[in-house]
Amino acid sequence: MIQVTELSKCFDGFSALSGLNVHVETGSIYGLIGVNGSGKTTLIKHLTGVYMPDAGQVTFDGEDIYENTVLKERLGYIPDDLYFFNSYSIRDMASFYRKIYPAWNEQRYRDMLREFGLPAVRKISKFSKGMQKQAAFILVMSTMPDYLILDEPIDGLDPLIRKRVWRYVVSDVAERQMTVLVSSHNLREMEGICDSIGILSEGRMMIERDLEELKTDIHKIQVAFKEEKERPLSNLNILHREKRGSVELLIVRNAGNLVKSELEKEDPAILDMLPLSLEEIFIYEMGGENSEIQSILF
Amino acid sequence: MFQLDVKSRKSIYEQIVDNCKELIIAGVLAPNDKLPSVRELSAMLTVNPNTIQKAYRELEQSGWIYTVSGLGCFVSESRHAPDPLQIRALLDKIEPLVRELLFLGVPAESIRQALDKMIRKGGGSR
Repeated sequence: MIQVTELSKCFDGFSALSGLNVHVETGSIYGLIGVNGSGKTTLIKHLTGVYMPDAGQVTFDGEDIYENTVLKERLGYIPDDLYFFNSYSIRDMASFYRKIYPAWNEQRYRDMLREFGLPAVRKISKFSKGMQKQAAFILVMSTMPDYLILDEPIDGLDPLIRKRVWRYVVSDVAERQMTVLVSSHNLREMEGICDSIGILSEGRMMIERDLEELKTDIHKIQVAFKEEKERPLSNLNILHREKRGSVELLIVRNAGNLVKSELEKEDPAILDMLPLSLEEIFIYEMGGENSEIQSILF
Repeated sequence: MFQLDVKSRKSIYEQIVDNCKELIIAGVLAPNDKLPSVRELSAMLTVNPNTIQKAYRELEQSGWIYTVSGLGCFVSESRHAPDPLQIRALLDKIEPLVRELLFLGVPAESIRQALDKMIRKGGGSR
């Protein structure tokens, strides 16, 4: 389990993270999302023990990560900006990794190299960006990490490669209870792969929940009534309400059953309930008061 | 045998639950047939194993499947008493369709006959 407690970090008086709490269960795939500049990469640099916290704690199964080389041997990390040694090939990198990571799996390295079809002896710097990303993935997955941290892992990869990458991730979660934290802006992809979601905003955790619960809790409703009259619907937690002709559009944060029974009391002519997609939840939560964003969405 | 629709508004968890039920209802999965393991299905669909685990747990709780520890999940012989909420939800799905048929001017008797026919086809007693 990865646990971040009351983490704060300042850069030259700018508070990047303030009192941040994060919980990633063992064997889960945790999606970290947030607008640009919300502190995702700063958090990740704390999780990988690169930054020292100003205040608070970052622990993996109870152990502090900062300056903890034993723990870091079990941690796999693919940063957004990849780094390879100058003029190194994948084979050179592999022999370096083999010395650093005790759990290095030679069989997997060979299998992956074959499956991804990358040349082992060419300089990685001559690779395309997408190929470099694949090279990083092959190397990291061959270290058999217990914790895997991915910063924008799938950007620039084609759909086939993405599928292949995710297949490795899910099978390691299924077979070895690997714990994964992944940050991305590709919410549709995250929705398919993650089981929990954390939404960061201005260095704080806005929402951290099981994805399924998050989605069953908030609904988009189209409703039309036979007769016109004021309906306060005061038992419901209405986040957004809008009239389009005779149809009303509601965004409600309540359990589905309650929403349904409350609205049926009013004898609606039409009642359609839709779950929101993660993308919609994100934009709604982040857009907040900004009605312009909301009108695009709903 | 499992198909996921990534564009669907239905969550993946729901899709797996519904998919399994459909396969069992259609008889593709017979009683005591083994379901794919969480690992297999997760690799096959590229879906988070926790999501599949959760879907299987839901199916087990509602009596569709049973687990033999160490061996996996199997289709149940007979169903437990169905959940009244679930029945209500299914009946709710029929209602708008019936209303649409009535709106189109289909006589009530024809709808009744069509429903009777479906019930007979589905092996219902009455």
